[in-house]
Amino acid sequence: MDLFSRIRDQVAIVGIGHLPFAKEIGRPISDTAIEASQLALDDAGLEAENVDGIVMYELEKTHEVTIARGLGVENLGWWDKITYGGGASCATILHAAAAIASGVATTVLCIRARNRGSKAARPWAQERELVTDDKALHVPWGLIRPVDVIGMWAHRHMLVHGTTREQLGNVAIAARRHANRNPHAMMHERKLDMETYLGGRVIGYPLTLYDCCLETDGALACVVTSAERARDLRQKPAYVHSGAQASGPNPTHLANYNTPNMETTAVPCARQLWERSDLKPKDMDCAQIYDAFTPLVILGLEDYGFCARGEGGPFTEGGRIELGGDLPLLTSGGGLSEAYAHGFNLILEGVRQIRGTSTAQVGGCTSVLVTGASGVATSALVMRGD
Amino acid sequence: MLHPDYPLPDVEHPVTAPFWAGCREGKLMVQRDDVTGAYHWPPKPAYWKGDRLRWVETSGRGRVYSWVVGSEPFLPAFAHLLPLVMVVVKLEEGPRLVGYMVSCTPEQMSLDLPVRVVYEPLTEDVTLPVWAPV
Repeated sequence: MDLFSRIRDQVAIVGIGHLPFAKEIGRPISDTAIEASQLALDDAGLEAENVDGIVMYELEKTHEVTIARGLGVENLGWWDKITYGGGASCATILHAAAAIASGVATTVLCIRARNRGSKAARPWAQERELVTDDKALHVPWGLIRPVDVIGMWAHRHMLVHGTTREQLGNVAIAARRHANRNPHAMMHERKLDMETYLGGRVIGYPLTLYDCCLETDGALACVVTSAERARDLRQKPAYVHSGAQASGPNPTHLANYNTPNMETTAVPCARQLWERSDLKPKDMDCAQIYDAFTPLVILGLEDYGFCARGEGGPFTEGGRIELGGDLPLLTSGGGLSEAYAHGFNLILEGVRQIRGTSTAQVGGCTSVLVTGASGVATSALVMRGD
Repeated sequence: MLHPDYPLPDVEHPVTAPFWAGCREGKLMVQRDDVTGAYHWPPKPAYWKGDRLRWVETSGRGRVYSWVVGSEPFLPAFAHLLPLVMVVVKLEEGPRLVGYMVSCTPEQMSLDLPVRVVYEPLTEDVTLPVWAPV
């Protein structure tokens, strides 16, 4: 039996935890990451002594051993850091699942703790040295800010397929309406309507304020273990059904515009994800599609097979992507309106949907797609409930 | 006078040095595979698959594939260029290059607009290929 068959529904996310999101959390992540991990273990009903593996993002500004010591883990036998920012999100769970299914680890913490709410903390505000490698082929022309890098895909989609500002706005408004139901969301109390959306100031033409995610400090964690162990634990398991990572062809670090038809990495990622899955896009009860910028969601709807190329814009119309619609998206508010945590909050929301505990709960939800950032080498996950 | 924080490229990186050398001489160079004739971008190491890639001069012409516009507030190093029309140009030869437009306002931009390369010397070592409407 291949590894993906051994992962499929045989590994589960059994605990989730996060600290309150904030513009400035005022604590180092070597502290917040430990507390978030403890919350996830408490949620699962597990002890630090049960943990033998940790997966984090490469961007993490702390160490596995610091977290292990802070929690009281006896011995880490396996650890891993995943590259490419928000592209890493679902891969943390996939790597943990692979380690568990192959017997390298039994119980793994997956963590994202991020302090980037304040302006000075943003890496694109810090270009100072000679630009080398892949970045030397776009940064010297000013193409540095994520909003501009992603804007190239967005604008081409608008120019070729006629995607409208209102359709991008549908994504922002759906995320905001779901955030309005979620007391943990940064934008819980802030309403957004189409008039306000369309009046948002230009950040990087063609994208405006409400097309952009928040900047947030946060610390989040999941506990992953075998389905067998999950059955004895406190929470309803969210099984890892299928997962994939993809760089796509001819990859670059960022601003990869030399793929066939300038497709994003989500296209090859989706192909693998569904090949490894018994479920299809039509089986998904909701989707948490990576939303650093609204156009990524419209591209994601196409890339992950919910509609044909060019139809992502119209797909957002008529309440289809809101609670009560065919495919509710970003049901916690996502990066646009809950918190921007490089997509890790989307994983936690996927788990809540499977458990039935979301503040925008989809009735009878048993299957959820979660995706990572598609402007870089990426990852995606299908979760399933009993 | 170039802004002290201008993000200058490393023009001596062995993989891309021929591209930057070409720009200094007013030639827009990309790699072509001796065996298949295919153009390669971004560049690969010269030793790829047994030394098959040659740097060849392109026509320096292409069409606008996509663009975005930077305006205030933007990175201070680019303040003199605002509004900055950053562009993906599809060369006649096929590769898509990132650049910015000169002699062109945001309002004059359109999909598939024909453009030609223009050279912008930034320092003694760095000449940036940028784009103007044909």
